[in-house]
Amino acid sequence: MNRKNTDRDQLDRVQIDATLDATIDRILAAEEVLVPSSGFLASVMESVREEATVPPPIPFPWKMAVPGILLAAGVLGWGAFELVRYCLPAVREISLTPPHISAALILPLEQAGWVAGALAVSLLSWLLSRRLAGRSGLL
Amino acid sequence: MQPGGRTSCLTPRRVPELNASTQRANDDLAVVDRVLAGDAAAFEGIVRRWQGPLINMAWRYCRDRGRAEELAQEAFLRAWRGLAQWRRESSFSTWLFALAANVYRTELKRFPVETVPLEAAPEPAGPASQHNQLAARLSSDSVRRAVLALPLRYREPVVLFYFHEMDLGRAARAMGLPEGTLKARLCRARSLLRRRFPRLEYEHAAMEMAGKEA
Repeated sequence: MNRKNTDRDQLDRVQIDATLDATIDRILAAEEVLVPSSGFLASVMESVREEATVPPPIPFPWKMAVPGILLAAGVLGWGAFELVRYCLPAVREISLTPPHISAALILPLEQAGWVAGALAVSLLSWLLSRRLAGRSGLL
Repeated sequence: MQPGGRTSCLTPRRVPELNASTQRANDDLAVVDRVLAGDAAAFEGIVRRWQGPLINMAWRYCRDRGRAEELAQEAFLRAWRGLAQWRRESSFSTWLFALAANVYRTELKRFPVETVPLEAAPEPAGPASQHNQLAARLSSDSVRRAVLALPLRYREPVVLFYFHEMDLGRAARAMGLPEGTLKARLCRARSLLRRRFPRLEYEHAAMEMAGKEA
């Protein structure tokens, strides 16, 4: 008996939803038609003509730039190679916990870590709230 | 009988309609070719033909006449700049509507229209209203304004679906979404509207009937 009632309720709900959808369809499909204002066409064409008279942007001079870019890349690459070549042996000799850094310096560094963590959490929560607000159409 | 033994499903009325739309598509093509060949003035043909649809589409996005014209103008300018990018795989109108939808979406994200929250959208007036025709119109306006209060992901499918005369395929192409996705979003949007206006059917029908009798 109970199940019969539930089935009937569901059927009623479906029928109500269908009639509501039909009404919404009828309302939203019957939209008034706007006629463009008299100056619209002229205004658009004026903007188009303005754009048409603007000279095209000057293309980037790739032919002249490519040798310079290659040279710069080569110099940077060579510099990086030399840096690694000379620094790698020196870095290997440095211990991970340098004795010359005092405890007085390590403590503020730890606190800075906490501050950075707190800032990251704040940023994440701000981004999340923006996202949620955006989904709900508030933004 | 058509070649291949298939019978034509076109009614006599549909044939001239299709011929007219093919003619229009060819006209668009010719105008686009002229514009691309350097005849900027030929673009006027495109604006003249599509100004109505683009303004009406923008109107559905923002319900502000002045803003609708501004948005449509921006869409035409973008079309002018990007005309060479139309690959002619789809019809010109499909490309233009997709471009316009993109422009409207971006512009309205930058400067959103002022809307009331969906829950605060006014209820339609009761059928006992003295001016039933006016009340019916107001209830329709409430529903249309409530569409603007929907979240953007549901609002845009509704706008484009009804703008394209409930043609799911065209609306999906204008949004660049698969039809299934659009259908799901429409379903959700309708569900939100139904929840907002649970008695709409009875009130609207009663008001319309009373209006007709009057």
